[in-house]
Amino acid sequence: MMEKIVIKGRGALEGTASGPAIVFPDSIAGNSGALGDVDGVVYEKGNINYGISIKNAILVVPCAKGSNGFSAHFKGALIAGVKPAGWISTKIDARLGVAIASMNIPAVVDFTDVDPIKVISTGDWVELNGTTGEVVITKK
Amino acid sequence: MLKLTDHEKAMLDGKMGKFKQKAMEFNVRYAKVLGAEEFCEVSRTTLFIGAQHYLDCYKHGEDYKKIFSEFYLCSDEDIELGEMAPECKVQTCAASCDMWNCDKTHLSKEYSDKNKVYTGAARKMGVKIVESCTPYYVGWVPLMGEHFLSTESSNVVISNSFFGAYGNSDGVEAAVCAAITGRTPKWGMHIKENRYADCLVRVKCDVESVSEWDVLGYTIGKKLPKNVVPVLVGDFKRPEINRMRQFSSSISVSSATELCHIVGITPEAQTLEMATGGKTCRHEIEITENDIAESLSKICDEGSGPVDYISIGCPHLSLDELKEISEYIKGKKIREGTELFVWTDYATKAMADVNCYTKDIEDSGAFVLTGSCPIVMREDSHKHATGMVMNGVKQAVGIRHQTKVPVYYGDIKRCIDAAVKGRWEEAE
Repeated sequence: MMEKIVIKGRGALEGTASGPAIVFPDSIAGNSGALGDVDGVVYEKGNINYGISIKNAILVVPCAKGSNGFSAHFKGALIAGVKPAGWISTKIDARLGVAIASMNIPAVVDFTDVDPIKVISTGDWVELNGTTGEVVITKK
Repeated sequence: MLKLTDHEKAMLDGKMGKFKQKAMEFNVRYAKVLGAEEFCEVSRTTLFIGAQHYLDCYKHGEDYKKIFSEFYLCSDEDIELGEMAPECKVQTCAASCDMWNCDKTHLSKEYSDKNKVYTGAARKMGVKIVESCTPYYVGWVPLMGEHFLSTESSNVVISNSFFGAYGNSDGVEAAVCAAITGRTPKWGMHIKENRYADCLVRVKCDVESVSEWDVLGYTIGKKLPKNVVPVLVGDFKRPEINRMRQFSSSISVSSATELCHIVGITPEAQTLEMATGGKTCRHEIEITENDIAESLSKICDEGSGPVDYISIGCPHLSLDELKEISEYIKGKKIREGTELFVWTDYATKAMADVNCYTKDIEDSGAFVLTGSCPIVMREDSHKHATGMVMNGVKQAVGIRHQTKVPVYYGDIKRCIDAAVKGRWEEAE
């Protein structure tokens, strides 16, 4: 049987979402060109997930980073039909808050007992509940 | 629990029209995502709008009303575009192209025309077309304790850290909705208790020039723990605004910093005790010459080599820097086949015109351009380049997401030298 871990944060935007996790220990740069505006592919030089699409994934970040254009590039990808399924962030910040609110997709943030960056690995199957703040991780 | 004033309720209930209602609906959702309990009144915003490339998801010729409604107001329904909140001073941030010189930057007239349509619509809503990422040079200065939003990350750090104003690094949707309603969630840097430093940064390297402050900002951002407010201490000469502009832009590249105290410079940090609120910092880091050398190896490609695309002015330059450039470049000629772009805002350029700085710079074959930069103009403007030199860390790091050619980094004089020779020479 696959190992399951349950962690809890603050539900930031209601609704449920599930998908494979992509973990960004150093976040994703909000600068122009770091995320493909129409294909949702990570083009940030040096990012460990360079070349990977965010489509239908649960994005796991410590916070946002870089330009205040952060939300706009994710919103552009959403309108182009390439959106993540949900967000998990160790702590909320304003750049990420705008992205979550603008994309209007479920999110769990502000973990106090555990850092999701350390518990979740890229490829794990993650189910999140943006209302209760519960996150169920099935290890790959 | 989110509390609303009667005025905020009236906007949310649609009593002040759908334009404000939709913007307030976004504000409420954003406040709940953040965990905010109330709103604050916003008196200044800058907006990264126009035909920006994040709008490339829309087909050419799409109605701007639909774009504005869906993208900024997060509305499925097309909303009649209204006016910005009268109590909020609203202007544009960096533009996606120079208003008059698309040809010089390899962009099409069609693209320029689209940008004019979008900015024209914004102007009708009451947005002033300023096209600057350094708006404090031309009058956009929030005072201590004033609540602002800016879509330029370096402007957020400058305004929080050196003007003592209150603002978060939000994003364009939040900035537009704040400009329409005059409200933003009172959260994060809008609350004094969150502005105390909790990470002591000991600067143990030499830092004096604009470029040294530029590289220092990037280096600190790389070493900072996540989600902290840093405070700098060190034996460095008192920096002025151009150095702080460069520092603020580069720390924003490598971190999510919104406020960085510098003891003796930051209004809220005239002493270390003021910066920390009398508490001991939870974190402490130091920055050494080795850290700076490691950063430079990431910012500037190794070795020497031919270059044909040089850009100075990230963030947009001040009038005194245009004077310095004109004095250094006078009598020199840019090598044939090499481009040198010098970026500022159009108000500052008008002053440079009057003072003959523009003429002296352009007599060399360089161009003084306004409002934009290579990163924001994106690949169409620089895909022909075979070797680049940038004078801002933000530009030198950011352009690498858009190109595979060598990218070198240097101060203004080294950039001009490279443009004259058509070649970057590694420092001895």
